[in-house]
Amino acid sequence: MTTELTTEPDAKNPPGAPTTRGARRPRRGSGNGQARAAALYLAPAGILLIAVMAYPLYQLVQLSLYEYGQAQASGGAPLEFLGLGNYTTLLGDGRFWMVLLNTCGFAAVCVLGSLAVGIVLAVLASRVRWLPRTLLFLAALGAWATPAVAGSTVWLFLFDQDFGLVNEVLSGLGWQSMSGFSWTYDRFTAFALVAGEVVWCSFPFVMVTMYAGIKAVPNEIVEAASLDGASAWRTTRSVLLPMLRPLLVIATIQSIIWDFKIFTQIYVMTDGGGIAGQNLVLNVYAYQEAFAGSNYGMGSAIGVVMTVLLLVITVIYLRLQRGTGEST
Amino acid sequence: MTTATETARRTTRRRFDARKWLPVLGVAGIVLYCLAPFYWMVVTAFRRPADQYDLSPLPRTWSVENFRAVFEPGTGFGRALLNSLIVASTTTVLTLVIGTSTAYALARLAFRGKNLVLSLIIATSMFPGISLIVPLLRLFTDIGWINTYQAMILPSLSFALPLAVWNLTMFFRQMPQELEQAAMVDGCTPGQAFRKIIVPLAAPGMFTTAILTFILAWNEFIIALSMVNEREMQTVTVAISKFTGATQYDQPFGTQMAAGVIVTIPLVIGVLIFQRRIIAGLTSGGLK
Repeated sequence: MTTELTTEPDAKNPPGAPTTRGARRPRRGSGNGQARAAALYLAPAGILLIAVMAYPLYQLVQLSLYEYGQAQASGGAPLEFLGLGNYTTLLGDGRFWMVLLNTCGFAAVCVLGSLAVGIVLAVLASRVRWLPRTLLFLAALGAWATPAVAGSTVWLFLFDQDFGLVNEVLSGLGWQSMSGFSWTYDRFTAFALVAGEVVWCSFPFVMVTMYAGIKAVPNEIVEAASLDGASAWRTTRSVLLPMLRPLLVIATIQSIIWDFKIFTQIYVMTDGGGIAGQNLVLNVYAYQEAFAGSNYGMGSAIGVVMTVLLLVITVIYLRLQRGTGEST
Repeated sequence: MTTATETARRTTRRRFDARKWLPVLGVAGIVLYCLAPFYWMVVTAFRRPADQYDLSPLPRTWSVENFRAVFEPGTGFGRALLNSLIVASTTTVLTLVIGTSTAYALARLAFRGKNLVLSLIIATSMFPGISLIVPLLRLFTDIGWINTYQAMILPSLSFALPLAVWNLTMFFRQMPQELEQAAMVDGCTPGQAFRKIIVPLAAPGMFTTAILTFILAWNEFIIALSMVNEREMQTVTVAISKFTGATQYDQPFGTQMAAGVIVTIPLVIGVLIFQRRIIAGLTSGGLK
């Protein structure tokens, strides 16, 4: 009890407040020492994050204001300050809007896909017996651990135009037009193919999170609902889902953030953005502008736009997380 | 009355049957979706190169020819494997050391702005890594770090750190404070108490974090693709994406699948062995 009384003002009063100056108990001394120790323990992470995140971010914003290409990088031409020039060029470019639309549409499909598959599987896993449940988890964790590059090559092989298993099976089942069908030629089938792979490796996170959430719901509540005559579907919809809403929000936002940043799968599966860039998403677009186009300034401007978009999502995320933290 | 209950019972029985079979079908479909890519990868890897387009469910003649082709001197795959191992393990060790130190402060020490620090660290995990490539490339070019391990390790470290800090902080918070207090009564400093009492007890949590970090670092692609242009220094993920095989004429699917097996199977086995802990680690963020 006494320790509580002495530590309570510690947390509330800022150090150096007039009342704390005089009578300093040993407890308070250790509190100040703790702040110093904390600074020491936090220093490595702080230095690292400043060196490889904060400083590059500052440079990114700076670069985006310049005309910075191959000539400038090699020192052959002076840096030319453009101000917001890169941004006005970017926003005036129809291609950018197409890529932005691609990114949002593609991310939306991937998010909905992973959520749907993940939730269905989580509900399923909570209802079946040990063996099928273990099988489900093993399959899901296996897909989750597969490197994106390896997963992409396997999916490409499965859906190969001439030799892929999928085309052979489909045409074998009597769907003749699928023989020799190119999945990567058309913009939408190419996106669908990549989305299939992305969902494949990202639904396990949703599934595992939701499963843990379902398991955390007290059994009595579900039993009470079924005693009152609610069907399994009704119990899921009216009892479980509202209780899982906070978790669902977190899983959704996390998926949005991941799927917005997809790079590897698009880069590998559509060979760097598809035919004539039809499958570009913002991440790959920024990379191609910067490296293939040697236009580092423009690439940086796209990076800034991307960062701002994700920052908005992040702020929403943190606010929601704080909200759920208070309610639980 | 009796017929009514009869039909009611029959409908419940029929619905019960559907309810019994639907999950089975669902499980079968999803397991197929999850496993078919693995299965086809492994089976194709073990076919003879001449049979690589076979559709038989099992290789007609089993062969390790594809695996030999992967390691042919010209491909540089063995070296890439070693590079990946070095980069991923170093990243894991450093992430654990820095992450533990940070998590200790966040879980055990009292200081102002603690929640702000935690929020900031989590916020960095949402950062689009790609936008840092150009500035990082410039920075690393200036200090001569292109084609070095540290140019891949440091960015990976910063991407892996937020998750590690979050996991470890949650884990340390669960441990009773009395443990350290008892050690301090016995004459340990807070730091010693943490190192000698808490860290050993937290081994399972550290272990989970290590696996998660290792997988993240092993799968890393963009950084390795941009910071390295020498074949000697590239990691396996980049090596696979650049695989053209021995002949230029046909796509070396068999070799690619064999390479995929080599890169994937160790991770999958590791994950399956430690699945419980990994699930606990993955959910700690959402559930608190």
